[in-house]
Amino acid sequence: MIWLTWRQFRTQAWVAAAALVVVAGALAATAPGLSDLYDRSGLAACTTGCADLAGNFRAEVARTVAGPLYTGATALMFLLPAVVGVFWGAPLVARELEAGTHRLVWSQTVTRGRWIAVKLAGVGLAAVLLAGLISLAVTWWSGPIDEASEGRITPLLFAARGIVPLGYAAFAFLAGVLVGLLTRRTVLAMAITLLLVALVQIAMPMFVRPALSSPVHSTTAFVPDSIRELGIHNDETISVFMRPPVEGAWTVSNRTITSSGAEFTGPVDLTKCGPDAGGGPRACEKWLGTLGLRQDISYVPADRFWTLQWRELGVFTGITALLSLFCVWWIRRRVA
Amino acid sequence: MTSAIVTSGLTKRYGRRTALRDCTLDIPAGHVVGLVGPNGAGKSTLLQLACGLLRPTEGTIEVLGGPPANGSARIGFVAQDTPVYAGLTIAEHLRLGAHLNPGWDKRLAEQRIDDLGLDPAQRAGKLSGGQRAQLALTMAMAKRPDLLLLDEPVAALDPLARREFLQGLMEFVAEHGVSAVMSSHLVADLERVCDYLVVLAASRVRVTGDVEELLATHHRLTGARRDPDTLGPGHEVVYASHTDVQSTLLVRSSAPIDDPSWATDRLDLEELVLAYMTEAGGAGRKRSLETQR
Repeated sequence: MIWLTWRQFRTQAWVAAAALVVVAGALAATAPGLSDLYDRSGLAACTTGCADLAGNFRAEVARTVAGPLYTGATALMFLLPAVVGVFWGAPLVARELEAGTHRLVWSQTVTRGRWIAVKLAGVGLAAVLLAGLISLAVTWWSGPIDEASEGRITPLLFAARGIVPLGYAAFAFLAGVLVGLLTRRTVLAMAITLLLVALVQIAMPMFVRPALSSPVHSTTAFVPDSIRELGIHNDETISVFMRPPVEGAWTVSNRTITSSGAEFTGPVDLTKCGPDAGGGPRACEKWLGTLGLRQDISYVPADRFWTLQWRELGVFTGITALLSLFCVWWIRRRVA
Repeated sequence: MTSAIVTSGLTKRYGRRTALRDCTLDIPAGHVVGLVGPNGAGKSTLLQLACGLLRPTEGTIEVLGGPPANGSARIGFVAQDTPVYAGLTIAEHLRLGAHLNPGWDKRLAEQRIDDLGLDPAQRAGKLSGGQRAQLALTMAMAKRPDLLLLDEPVAALDPLARREFLQGLMEFVAEHGVSAVMSSHLVADLERVCDYLVVLAASRVRVTGDVEELLATHHRLTGARRDPDTLGPGHEVVYASHTDVQSTLLVRSSAPIDDPSWATDRLDLEELVLAYMTEAGGAGRKRSLETQR
């Protein structure tokens, strides 16, 4: 069974190995240059107020090949689960059911349970290994740039770094297998898997990760200096967004509230704020300061990165285990 | 003699559609059994129940004295359309068989591929229908099962490939003394190789028995028009047709027909099978069977 699994999987395995070599090669070739830039940026020695240094460093990086490579490597990390699910997971059983070859292989002296178990374990571990190796390379290589960015705990980087990519890959693979098993059509299964993986990638940071990370909740007095964005609308409402109090944190929610606790939306005093007001932005900020506003913010500090990584990996491990059991049960009981 | 397949009240439904209804059979071992019936009669369902691919909705089935199970070493199954892995070569198929079957007969498999003049390095996807069927049969044989189940293995083959396939099957069965059950909607294929017959039509078993015995006990009676019930005990009318002046009856009888007013003919296997299928489904079925020939 192990031989058959390898024989049917080897083409995909070689493609994956080649892709891995290309990615690792590109990263290794650009790593020394990136390291030089980082050393010269002075970020390593900086402890507070490093925003300007970080900005300079990022601008420098963007001028080299490392700039697009950084974007590409991060995008690759987000695409990897979909690729694994669509090309490794979905066809695994669907192709057999479509071609009728499951009737050939199940007529050998091998139980269905063992057949699917070896396939799931073999190809699944390969998927996890691939995701692990690529994530290791990308996480290591982009470390300096991540440090100078918004922070790798933010949704744009979190699932593309560290150990959660292993969980995403395992989940996507199993989801693909299961969809293939239920639809019994390879192409349809591939399409549904792609959609499903994308949905999970969107739903995770929106709904699940905030619950896993138990964000810090703080309410502080309004400080005009920390306004990040101010919007004045035609209907005399105003929206105020303030900078989070800590750097590199993932802001889950950020509201400006009135003394009664309701979200502040105006009405705006058009003689102080807005295009017709004479005093400029300063006057507007000063006026806002007199309203007794407070900043109500939930955020996940950067130092919880690894805790959150382990928790999210745990969630995916659990889901993957359940999907595996369901796959085995379905194949043993329901498929003909 | 022990039984190859014993079923009792065996029923298989897919949702609301009944594929096999209340099937009670006892197929003795040591025979080459022909399972014949029009398309959709439940042949595939019965065979897949026998090899454990399907589970019965109701009733029981025992194969070689035990419940059927997928992955049994004692049953060799050649599925409909003889599926093989298109991307694997013939040699890789044999390797697959060797890896997955403890009782794999490597010599037999290689000898057969060699005798068929097939190139082991050829991909199975490039084989002709006949070659593919032969490969699937070889895999089922080299497993060295006690019972071979073949689901319409020759349905898609040309006459020459058909003959070669059946010849290979006969040689194997004779040499190793295994039982075989082969389904087909063509009586001509089965006539050549089978010594036992099961007729399925419209999800039911119509008749089973040793071919010789079936032929010996079935007669066509022709005579002046009359009521078939006048035949007396020991005679079972399978099929009756009447014109204004004449009646034609197909009769299964254990006793000799001694009424001199009947002209008595022997039947061939095909007429016999057609009579049972006509009884099952009316004239429409008979026509559909004939157009398939």
